[in-house]
Amino acid sequence: MSDKTNDPVQVWHTMLAEMEKGFNAMATQVMGSEQFSRATHQLTGVSVGAQKTVGDLMERYLVSMNLPSRAQMVSMGERLQAIEGQLNEIRALLNRANAGDASSDGLSAPRPPRTRLPPSAGGGGTS
Amino acid sequence: MPDIAGMGDRIQTEVQRAIQRSIKGVEYFASSGPALGSTPKDIIHSKGTMNLYHYRPLSDEIYRIPILIVMATTNRGYILDMVPGQSFIEFLLKKGFDVYMLDWSAPRPDEKSLRMEDYVLGFIPDCVRRVQEDSGETDVNVIGYCFGGVLSLLYASIFHDGPMKNLVCFTTPIDFREMKLFQNFSDRRYFNVDQLVDSVGNVPPEMILSSFEMLRPASRAVSQIQLWENIWNDEYVKSYRMFDRWAQDTLPLAGEYFRQTTKDLMWDNKLYNGTMTVGGRPADISRITVPIFHAVAEHDHIVPYEAAKHLISKIGSTDKTEVILKGGHVSLVAGANAIKRLWPKLDSWLSERST
Repeated sequence: MSDKTNDPVQVWHTMLAEMEKGFNAMATQVMGSEQFSRATHQLTGVSVGAQKTVGDLMERYLVSMNLPSRAQMVSMGERLQAIEGQLNEIRALLNRANAGDASSDGLSAPRPPRTRLPPSAGGGGTS
Repeated sequence: MPDIAGMGDRIQTEVQRAIQRSIKGVEYFASSGPALGSTPKDIIHSKGTMNLYHYRPLSDEIYRIPILIVMATTNRGYILDMVPGQSFIEFLLKKGFDVYMLDWSAPRPDEKSLRMEDYVLGFIPDCVRRVQEDSGETDVNVIGYCFGGVLSLLYASIFHDGPMKNLVCFTTPIDFREMKLFQNFSDRRYFNVDQLVDSVGNVPPEMILSSFEMLRPASRAVSQIQLWENIWNDEYVKSYRMFDRWAQDTLPLAGEYFRQTTKDLMWDNKLYNGTMTVGGRPADISRITVPIFHAVAEHDHIVPYEAAKHLISKIGSTDKTEVILKGGHVSLVAGANAIKRLWPKLDSWLSERST
């Protein structure tokens, strides 16, 4: 086994770990400053505002072109999701009803009994 | 004096690894990651962003009280059900627990108006009731991870008369002043949460993900270098892919819920101050009296210990346990570290209280 201090791979790993730690610490210090917070939120505010303005303009343009807007497509998507949700509910109800029939026929797997005791009370805590 | 023979072996190993890297590197990009969240389960109920699962028992005899796991609203629940042998859910099932999970999917655009009360007074009580119906038991144990722990605490403080029997929190913050960088990201002098929510509706997942990544900005680049170095090692690659996929799979947050979280918790620190209300109902954690187990990580960069440590002293319970374990925010609950540290501790604590 080579000495760890002479092992270039080990040296590289140590250097990488130190660089990561150092960079994270430096970034944490920068991001913890008030200036960082102010600058970031100014940028976010401008970007969010611009996004909203462009979105509004685009919607007006699509209306004039007689095309569906994103909001309308999203609304259609929501209605489809709501229908899917209701179908899932119906499927779950049917599954439950079928399971009920099966258990009354003795066909479904019975659930294990809720009688387990902790190992300290001599229960089967080894499985 | 340098060890020439040792150096020769080292060079040979590195050459072999370099060859393996080229072969495995191609395989990496050509293959998909391992299937996650594959422990057999049934969907008991699903409503918009909310999903309630029941995991099929893996033991012949189970403890009387079922467990409801409440997942954090920012991430997917499969972090607790990675792959067989590394799944917390599978571990609990094999130890004889009956497990349900309240997991979240991305809130739909029309769910942007969901508020804290929808989660605490709606989703959680609804799931508890369905767990009671499905299991036939009145008592329910609750496990909350990260912000799922905060929601569980709010629920427990409002419904302190039951039916919750035991409460387990993993790395749950209550003093939001101590989440220093998040505090700075949401500084009320500069962060216009109303403008953001009014403009975007639901807060996009990219924004949530970048706020997590900004806590350790160099770590992503370094982890990719480490992946390349270890790409010859199948176990390392498998583990990397599991955790990376989960970390990238961040969920958007419902707009109103985000607005409330920012104002009530980040700005006014109401949970810590005991002034929190949900839907007009006081949510003071000193009213919680059920046994509680709180697990925190020594090196948690998301929820530092200082943000979580007051939970045990402020809660009203007399039977309370705090364990501080080696690891970080995620390695506390999943992966090799969790398998040998947290999981057995929780099993021995919860099994004594689940009959």
